[in-house]
Amino acid sequence: MNQADVSKLMSQLRIAVKPHRNLRNPDGPEGRLLKLRKTVTALVKHERIELYYNRADEARGYAELLISNAIRYGDRHKATMELADYWLLEKQLVHKLFKVLVPRLENCNYSYTRLYKAPRDYPGMYYRKSVLELRGNPYPTLVTDFTNNRNLIHNVLLDEARKDYRRERLAELANKIAAESAENEKKAEAVSEPKITEQVVNSESKAELKGVEQVEKV
Amino acid sequence: MNATRGVLSASWLKGNGFKRIVTFSTKAHAKEITASHQKHIPSAHTPTGTSDGRKSVIPQNYRFIYPEFLPDPKVEWRNPVREKLERMDMLDRRTKIDIPEFYVGSILAVTSSDPHAAGKVSRFVGICIHRDRCGLRTRFILRNIIDHQGVEVRYELYDPTIQKIEVLRLEKRLDDHLLYLRDALPEYSTVDLNMEPEFLDENAVVPINDIKVVLRPRPWLERWERQNLQGVVNVDQYITDKQRRQAIAHEKPWEKYDMMKQYRATIPEEEQKEIYAEVHSQLHNLEIQRKRNKRKRSFVKPTKLA
Repeated sequence: MNQADVSKLMSQLRIAVKPHRNLRNPDGPEGRLLKLRKTVTALVKHERIELYYNRADEARGYAELLISNAIRYGDRHKATMELADYWLLEKQLVHKLFKVLVPRLENCNYSYTRLYKAPRDYPGMYYRKSVLELRGNPYPTLVTDFTNNRNLIHNVLLDEARKDYRRERLAELANKIAAESAENEKKAEAVSEPKITEQVVNSESKAELKGVEQVEKV
Repeated sequence: MNATRGVLSASWLKGNGFKRIVTFSTKAHAKEITASHQKHIPSAHTPTGTSDGRKSVIPQNYRFIYPEFLPDPKVEWRNPVREKLERMDMLDRRTKIDIPEFYVGSILAVTSSDPHAAGKVSRFVGICIHRDRCGLRTRFILRNIIDHQGVEVRYELYDPTIQKIEVLRLEKRLDDHLLYLRDALPEYSTVDLNMEPEFLDENAVVPINDIKVVLRPRPWLERWERQNLQGVVNVDQYITDKQRRQAIAHEKPWEKYDMMKQYRATIPEEEQKEIYAEVHSQLHNLEIQRKRNKRKRSFVKPTKLA
């Protein structure tokens, strides 16, 4: 344990990994892994599950590693497929992992799962409870999202900045249109006054243009 | 008496996982490869500091040549400040003495200062059977048979009393450790004390010695039948049926799928890159100096003809 194992390269997990935890099980380490497999399968199937905190935290690590391996190696990689086959007890979820979860989460810059604290059962089994969910799940959010609250100071400042910017752009546009319309009016005035000479001028200019065109063609 | 127990208790330590400030982009690895093809994407986030899709400067095999620079992966003992200071000290020591690349199975000669030896210097030649620990505490065991007596000496790699470490033969073996040489026939552990160093071509791959060792009859120091050793021929010869059954019962086929156990025993790839990026330039300079010194040694000054 005192030397880092260099034979295998693993991606950094984006969650806080706690030291080894003894999840006790009558079947020993194999039973512990079986229980965690059931948890991970349920997470991938339902995308949001409520359970006791210790097992949730442990299962979270396995779920994140499974998803990060699936994203990194894809489904053509034999070892990753075997891993997914072992961890997901229902075989249709293996398809879901590679075809639904991987495209959904591959561009995610943060963790693939979220772990919330859930209300504890008092009186009764007062163990810590938690809710474990995958990111991008279809259910409504558990925690109210205040980032769009217009009364928060950063949003107030940003809204004002946005308004200022838009005001500037509109003013610019207005000036531009005004300038263009002024030009057009001038042109219209210049055109309307000398009507007679205009025809001569126009015919002369047309001849010039034709001449120019012929030269260009040649 | 129990006042301090609450502060430093194991449960408090367990509650606070090792929180590491991530200083690099946590984009998935696959996306990094595709991103590097698009030149306009700013690559200031890559820890190697490369840009415009160039391959990373750090060689891939640094984690095999310098494994001691990676810290102990145990979460409770991680301390980024201590690790940084250790790495600085390790590089300082490497500028004073040449610490070569070696693996378990290589034959080394270590010259260290000994207050009780005549001449105050003692030289030990042996085959490296085990590499232990990390950082400044890195250790290795050399084994040899001297006067029909097996002798093992454990040295610390960064021990200031060591004057010289020479690699007489650089090679790897089929196993991560060669502790079974203690229960093997003596010819497999004997190394000539006056052995000359054998040189490999520059940039050659380190050869893997396929030798299969023959063990002595039981009793053994460890249960070699339970360890899946590749480098031993006759484990089966000295085992009873009961031991064979017990070995099968003790196998843990589920550990292959236990990803978190593997994760907790490794340093993640991004962190490895960061660490080696930090020490890369100095290590590279030391390698260049070593090559220069090698050429100087083999250079024979031409004598003037009469």
